[in-house]
Amino acid sequence: MEKPGPYRRTRIARPAESSSTVFLVLRRMRAPLIVLILIFAISVFGLTLIPGQDDAGNPVHMGFFDAFYFMSYTATTIGYGEIPHPFTGAQRLWVTATIYLTVIGWAYAIGSLLAALRDRAFREALSLRRFTGTVKRMREPFLLVVGYGQTGQLLGHALDAMGRRMVVVDNLPEHVDTLDIDQYNSDVPGLVADAANPHTLGVAGLEHPACEGVVALTDNDETNLVVAMTAALIRPGLPVIARTVSPAIEHRMRAFGSPTVVNPFDRYGDHLRLALHAPSAYLLMSWLVRGEGAEMPSPSRPPATGRWVVCGFGRFGRKLTADLRAADLGVTVIDLRPGAEPGLTMIEGDASVPSVLAEADLATAAGFVAGTDNDATNLSLVAAARKENPALFIGARQNRPVSAPLFAALEIDWLLVPSEMAAREIYARLSTPLLWRFLQEMSELGERWAADTLDRMQAYCGMRLGPVWKVNLTEREAPGLRPWLSAGIALGDLLRSPSDRAERLDAVPLMLLRDGRTVLRPDDDVTVTTGDQLLLVGRGYTPRALLDTMTNRVVAEYVLTGRHVPAGWVAQRVTGRIPTSSD
Amino acid sequence: MSLEKVIFGFFVLLAATLNFGFFYGDLSDPALHNEYELFAAVVVNLITTVLKFGDRTQIGAVHLATSLVADLQLIAATLTWVYATQISSAGMTPENTASVVSLSGGALLANLVSVALLVIETTTFRRR
Repeated sequence: MEKPGPYRRTRIARPAESSSTVFLVLRRMRAPLIVLILIFAISVFGLTLIPGQDDAGNPVHMGFFDAFYFMSYTATTIGYGEIPHPFTGAQRLWVTATIYLTVIGWAYAIGSLLAALRDRAFREALSLRRFTGTVKRMREPFLLVVGYGQTGQLLGHALDAMGRRMVVVDNLPEHVDTLDIDQYNSDVPGLVADAANPHTLGVAGLEHPACEGVVALTDNDETNLVVAMTAALIRPGLPVIARTVSPAIEHRMRAFGSPTVVNPFDRYGDHLRLALHAPSAYLLMSWLVRGEGAEMPSPSRPPATGRWVVCGFGRFGRKLTADLRAADLGVTVIDLRPGAEPGLTMIEGDASVPSVLAEADLATAAGFVAGTDNDATNLSLVAAARKENPALFIGARQNRPVSAPLFAALEIDWLLVPSEMAAREIYARLSTPLLWRFLQEMSELGERWAADTLDRMQAYCGMRLGPVWKVNLTEREAPGLRPWLSAGIALGDLLRSPSDRAERLDAVPLMLLRDGRTVLRPDDDVTVTTGDQLLLVGRGYTPRALLDTMTNRVVAEYVLTGRHVPAGWVAQRVTGRIPTSSD
Repeated sequence: MSLEKVIFGFFVLLAATLNFGFFYGDLSDPALHNEYELFAAVVVNLITTVLKFGDRTQIGAVHLATSLVADLQLIAATLTWVYATQISSAGMTPENTASVVSLSGGALLANLVSVALLVIETTTFRRR
């Protein structure tokens, strides 16, 4: 799709926040402070007017200074006694009144101050200020994650483990609170605010030069749309990843720039189709998106071909039905209000009613999907369907995270957890964009190719997924290879081990990217040259070994040609073995 | 008409008039400068300052600044007076009186600026 624009880059004007918190407290303290000043003034003034007596019995007036001194220690309940002379009755009467007055004044002032400090508006202003400061001081590139529910937290932990920085915005305090409660490697600033307000995104660092992308993961499609729009208008060209389950919203999002739209409902059907046609390709994909350290998933039961029964014809049901029909499977739909759709067998009614379910004739069906938006309904549907036909391939949609143990106990063949699916996909896109491209193109190469790749990966990496990393073969990033790179290096040579070149590094090149064109799983005789990008999967130490070859010209000389060259200049001159790369 | 503005204007003007009343007269003659008037000026000035707390407009900030200046000057004058009457043995000599009164004169200048700001604020408000 062509990118519209370019939009003129705009700025989000922000109301000045500087010292707002101080002003807030001062504003609250106006009345108590004035009351305190008045009480003091009246008390001091009264003391100077009322005549006292000195030791000789002469009438004297208390000075302002003495009166102020006396009031200060009386009001603060310290009380040194009566100075400079013992008080007369009239003075004592006045002082009694002022003691009570001043105590009330102090209590009022201190009470107001504490109330102002505990005030919600004040604390919000304070936390907003702290958040703004933290975001402003961020120097490393960070992602702006909007919506920190289940998907956001899954993604957040994965990104944090990878060493990526984030800033989080969510409208629910309990979501942002998890940032304080859960363990994170780096400090993740979080703000409780409405993300549909552009100012919120501005405060959260949308305009910050280090902001490298926006991820919109709220439960609300509308909010995600607004976030994608705001990002496209304020920072055109900034990568945006947005989750939605509605095709209409997806279409509207694409009207602004080119955001990456993740629709878990859509993905479920795609994966089902892939697993139908190419189980190994599906296996490979699900292994690679799990991230480093993941065990190879055990090949699950392949989806059955035949007639499928889908309960629930909402956004998820429609999408799934279309995918199943595209895979040439017959589909029977059960829904309360199915609406007519040509080529589909529709059963109107509540699927949890036995007579309705019986109409679907489960005994002859191959697959059953409980796809309503209610977990209890889905669970009971699965149980009922199993009773009718234990051989059914069962798919189900889990809506709420708390239902996870129940679904696990039922041993669903193909479970959709929208939040996990979205988090995995976004993680794969963000961690290694090349990997994502590989996954997209891989599915077209068929089952045998995928099975072969899986075999190779197991041979080199074992059953645990090693690092999947990208290598840029440029002069800057691979200075060791400079003399050979322009002529081309056979991939098999490049992947020889620096410790013994007869051995091969435990690495499988997954994809070669050259001038925008890709070669998937390039063989060892493919030559790589300047400007190529390689996506590799290997064992834990392989990235370091390859980096050694790429950056150290002595290692490169050995790996590529087998010549042992001394590293030092003097030794090179003395032995006469001068590396090819010296110029 | 806003009651808040009336109260505010009242205190700003009262601070200036009280200060003027204390300041007016021969600089070094203690008989012409009433300590009760100084006391009243200090109290009214403090109240004026507190009244200006929390006003986030530009002119409000300048108001607060002038008020703080007046407070500082008056508190300095008061401390000088306390020194003269309580600590030094000489009492209110013409020299001491002169320094108390001139300090309050500085505060008077700040008070006058406050009044000018008040007038400016009022007229611009009318024009809008």
